[in-house]
Amino acid sequence: MNTRLKRIRQLLFLNSLSSFGAICTFVFLLLAFLEFVTGSRLTPYNPGAPNLANANSIPSLSHPFGTDFQGRDILSRVLSALPVDIGLPLLIVSASAVIGIIVGTVAGYFGGLLEELIMRLTDMFLAFPAFILALAVAATLGPSLVNAVLSLTFVWWPPYVRLVRGNVLSITTQDYFAASKAMNSSFGYILAKGIVPNVLPAVLVYATMDVGTSLLSLSTLGYLGIGVPPSSPELGSMVSSISYNLYTYPWEALFPALIVLLIVAGFSFLGEGIRESLDIKVRPHILIRNKVFSENS
Amino acid sequence: MFSVRAFSIFLLKRVLATLLVLVGVMVIIFLISHVLSHDPARLWAGPRAKPSTVQAVEIRYHLNQPLEEQFIYFITSYLSGHFGIDPVTGRSIAAEIGYYLPNTLELVFAALAMILVFGVGLGYLGAMNFGKRIDTVIRVFYLTSWATPTFLGAILAVLLFSTYLHVFPSGGMYSPTLVPPPRITGIFVLDSLLGGRLQDLSSGLYHLALPAFTLAFLNFGLITRIARSSMLDARWATHVKGALAKGVPENTVRRRHVLRNALIDVDTVGAVMFGWLISGTVVVEQIFAWPGIGQFAYSAVASDNYPALVPIVMVFTLGVVVANFVADVLYSILDPRIALGGAR
Repeated sequence: MNTRLKRIRQLLFLNSLSSFGAICTFVFLLLAFLEFVTGSRLTPYNPGAPNLANANSIPSLSHPFGTDFQGRDILSRVLSALPVDIGLPLLIVSASAVIGIIVGTVAGYFGGLLEELIMRLTDMFLAFPAFILALAVAATLGPSLVNAVLSLTFVWWPPYVRLVRGNVLSITTQDYFAASKAMNSSFGYILAKGIVPNVLPAVLVYATMDVGTSLLSLSTLGYLGIGVPPSSPELGSMVSSISYNLYTYPWEALFPALIVLLIVAGFSFLGEGIRESLDIKVRPHILIRNKVFSENS
Repeated sequence: MFSVRAFSIFLLKRVLATLLVLVGVMVIIFLISHVLSHDPARLWAGPRAKPSTVQAVEIRYHLNQPLEEQFIYFITSYLSGHFGIDPVTGRSIAAEIGYYLPNTLELVFAALAMILVFGVGLGYLGAMNFGKRIDTVIRVFYLTSWATPTFLGAILAVLLFSTYLHVFPSGGMYSPTLVPPPRITGIFVLDSLLGGRLQDLSSGLYHLALPAFTLAFLNFGLITRIARSSMLDARWATHVKGALAKGVPENTVRRRHVLRNALIDVDTVGAVMFGWLISGTVVVEQIFAWPGIGQFAYSAVASDNYPALVPIVMVFTLGVVVANFVADVLYSILDPRIALGGAR
């Protein structure tokens, strides 16, 4: 166990990129988790309570990020938004990864007409600009936390199918795969022992970077006023609610937006750092579109 | 190497595949707009519409008919270019999109040009200095730009270059005192150039610079990353070593073998890039008051204007499908083996 912990630590702090990402990600995950389990007791002030006497105050010791047009403490509002802005992307990416592993494995393992059908469908979804499609679905479903997750997952799974299928295709050419089949192992056994453990590293690395990317889309939906409902605090909608004050009180919009940047950068740096150190080939251009030839090229 | 016959067959295959994707795209958009919601008429009429309006909308968009008839109506109206009437402005949505589209194209192509020059340039610089400090700086730079939310980038650009430094205007497409040149292509910069009106041209470019730069800055990361990793792969490839060994000057090798290799990979992500750029216009055009489809999409979302949103999504997607097709054709020209059916 001790050596395993050591290996995880080595992996996370392989280079300066991933070290920064690991620390950043850890801090935000911890804050979001604590905020969630304590039921918003982490915030120094009540994030929803207006205090008009103290509206639009500049950042100070008592209000490090200042207050907004209703006198609400911006730091408290940012903290109270973390469970949504970190939890939802985690949900979206995990759901997409699970779909990708199941559908991609089925396509790569069984091949034939089934594979052709799955991959053509994936291609059609990849033909959409993902954010625009998510916007259409979110506008259709209406604002709620569940709908925000659904609309982004709806457009988020195709790259995972591609990634997993490509990996499964190369696994099926390996000797251990042939040996396992020769011994008449069941599909479930091969899946659990031969395929999933070999596909997982690539999926995890891609997913790490992807948490940040999905937060970008989620907060942009929030900025446009769809997806996350107005009742739940969300960083993107916070920015747009304040942006008419932009020229007089720029920090009110900039602090929440910078927190989005920090979270996304944390996950991206971590994923990119690990990827480069492990030399896992997660080349997004192969994931996203490769219709001319197979993934193995 | 280049065979006209192989290329025509390749082209035909790509056209058919693109048409197939287009059909799939239309089906998906139909399912979202007509089936996904449990009350489509309410959705199309807007949440604050009166019951009588909802009923009128239901009849106008054939939402009360069987699904297969709705689908036929949907497909035929799109194929004949009838996108319906915008309930907010009362004008034809097709005409509105026709007005906004050139403005968006102007912005997107300007950003694309910047990305190709600076994105590939930075990738080249990084790959040639692999492992050195400048390479790390470039990587941190493109990862940070990648991680920047579009609204933050656009807000910062306006605040910094317009409000504080007064270098660029904060919005609009040209100076408000100016009479626009006769409409030829609809793209302002091109029209003023064709009309020979240099003053208009400079005003157009002056207004274009900041939003295009913002859009480019927020999206160049993907290109730089691909160009860098592809040039790193090519740098130590045997054909590059061979060329160096037989005495070809290093700069020539870099240009002909390393850089050209990267262009193939850059083309592969080009269409994805295009999709990101037009997605980015929704926020960038709103913040820069740029009268394009992105801003049209923003106002459609803000005013619950669902009948306008569906055609907008269709046009955006059509743009990406066309970009995919162009990238594929370009690909087979950059790498003729593709059209010949060979593996890479």
